[in-house]
Amino acid sequence: MAISDRTEELHSSLSQILTTKQGKVAITAGPATVWILLLLLAPMIFMVIVSFLEVSRETYDIIFEPTLKNYQALFDSSLGFWESPFVKALLLSYGIAIISTILCLTLAFPLAYLLAKRGGQTFKVVIFLVLLPFFTMYLVRAYSWVLMFGQGGVLNSTLLSIGLISEPIELLNYGVFAIIVGLTHAYFPYMLLTLYASLDGIDFSLVDAARDLGASRVAVMKDHILPLTAPGIVGGSLFVFVPSVGAFITPRFLGQGKVQMIGILIEGRVNGGYAIGYASAASMFVLISIVAAMVLTFRYVSIEELGGG
Amino acid sequence: MRIGHIVGMSDDTHTASSETNTTTDGFSRRTYLSAAGSATIAGLAGCAGSAGGGSTPTINIITWEEYQEMEENIEETLDVNIEITPSSSSSEMFTQWNSGQDEQFDIAVPNNNLVPNFIEADLIEPLNRDIVTAYGDMYDKFQNLAETQFSADGAVHGVPVRFGWYGYAYDTRSVPDHEPSYSIMFEEDYVDADLDGEIIMYDEANKTMPVTALYMGFEEALEGDRMTFSTDQIQQMRDRLIEQKPRLQGYISSDPTFIQEFQQGNFLVGHSGRNEIIEMRTQGADWVEYVVPQEGAMAWYETAVVSSASENKDAAWEVVNEFIAPDNGAALAKAGFSPSVNPAISEELSSEENSLYGSIDPSRLDGMIPFKAISSDVEEEYESAWEAVKSA
Repeated sequence: MAISDRTEELHSSLSQILTTKQGKVAITAGPATVWILLLLLAPMIFMVIVSFLEVSRETYDIIFEPTLKNYQALFDSSLGFWESPFVKALLLSYGIAIISTILCLTLAFPLAYLLAKRGGQTFKVVIFLVLLPFFTMYLVRAYSWVLMFGQGGVLNSTLLSIGLISEPIELLNYGVFAIIVGLTHAYFPYMLLTLYASLDGIDFSLVDAARDLGASRVAVMKDHILPLTAPGIVGGSLFVFVPSVGAFITPRFLGQGKVQMIGILIEGRVNGGYAIGYASAASMFVLISIVAAMVLTFRYVSIEELGGG
Repeated sequence: MRIGHIVGMSDDTHTASSETNTTTDGFSRRTYLSAAGSATIAGLAGCAGSAGGGSTPTINIITWEEYQEMEENIEETLDVNIEITPSSSSSEMFTQWNSGQDEQFDIAVPNNNLVPNFIEADLIEPLNRDIVTAYGDMYDKFQNLAETQFSADGAVHGVPVRFGWYGYAYDTRSVPDHEPSYSIMFEEDYVDADLDGEIIMYDEANKTMPVTALYMGFEEALEGDRMTFSTDQIQQMRDRLIEQKPRLQGYISSDPTFIQEFQQGNFLVGHSGRNEIIEMRTQGADWVEYVVPQEGAMAWYETAVVSSASENKDAAWEVVNEFIAPDNGAALAKAGFSPSVNPAISEELSSEENSLYGSIDPSRLDGMIPFKAISSDVEEEYESAWEAVKSA
């Protein structure tokens, strides 16, 4: 068959396909489905499989014999279960993520409340200012914090030069505090925008009515505003908590190597000794625990409500 | 051939679907898949065709950032296109290649201690001496090291390019003169200065653990082809590093960060490569002193290797040959403040440059220990110990 005939047939086939129902579905949902299958599900399935396999220390090849050794190695430490690097890194990651989430919520809620109530020009200006730093790369923003912290960083140097302190404050050194600040800064807009979307749906005349009827501000907040904004709070918290648990760049820069969050530990195993089995097993734990948190969340909040329904 | 086969399938299936009339518009799922497959492959073939259109070979290299200084000159000399992907870790280079990127890259330049891993994973080619004619121009020391450390089946598998060593640096404005020793990093009263929170170590087991071993007197474990610590020694090193950790400002993973933080005054003593300090001195930081401790030091030499999966092996070896040519070696030395393995580069540099990094006799490496991979039977303990230190 001549090439021109084949091309013609191909064109004819394609044009007919595009007019069918399957064709339309394939064109609209196909790219996203392929994207998810290739770039999300396939690597995840590979990770699950590798977590049950060993990698030869001699040839660095994967040995296709199922084993639980990688999972045992996570908790196997001569220092004891609670001192094993994996358990410590996982708990530390959860701790840092929880604190960052609470901080984001605490800082973003009053601002979102104000924006929802005032709206108009104020909203535009504040949102612009909040989002302004986010027009730069995440890497650059994380790196900018490096200059802030440290014995001789901007914060300590400024306090020293104006005579407020006589020697550098340890809290302003690199470490857990710096990481929490970095993560809070990084994920603050996600919390703010989610809360705003939720608060924007509230009828504030109800608040005024409650106040007129003698309810205190605390009571109004507790009985009226918080229940109505619960989906936004949960949604915003997920958007901050999940990436914070697996954070890599921020702890890498601001932990100065002294703080080992789970992402750092996993990366170290992969790049340090090509221990992809161990790294996959560790990743599985993170994945499962996050999925469990999300499942629990969705038992109380529907996915439609997370955007601020 | 594949395209023809799939188009052929389409023909057959089209007929079959017409006969059975299984879909409303005369199309079965197989017809759809085969047509989509044809379109995809035709598209890919088009991309591949456009990518491979030129006659000049493209050599993809994963290496340290400073190698970009040689790129233009090598391209002009050899009529090749060079694509450099910067990396800041030899381990990362190995991980990427062992994960399949050995097909994407023609050359990698890891540190000497990682080359045995590349060999064991069957990723690299034996040296082609017919093409790498400058190999004989290297200092004898590096030819001997290459033959000792990364030979397999009687063949050397890489070409050393530049070298250096790790001692430590200190800020002379705050730290008094002293007998150079790693004790300064591990013992509180070694010098008359408060160094709590003022010390930096490397954020890499392969750099920090050997130093700890030297400090603790475990030299014998560093003598063979690989580091052969006992489990007990690894635990002792781990405990010592955990004890040291509160005294640290942190563990640093890259040279630019080290320099920036040292200049920012974030620490006073740092485990350090010589090249970082030469760079700082060149920038005017005359307050930095660099010493080799009495316990010894670890030496490194970057080594260019060629991928077994490369489609341009000969061109790749030609590029490697250029890495150690005098003009390129000099450009690399200037960019990275590290000496080349080829003594002839000194002719391309000024006397000041030669005194700093151009003409460094490798006999200065005598007594130093080349970085080595850890013995595979204690690799798990070694990595766990380092993680325990990091998470302490």
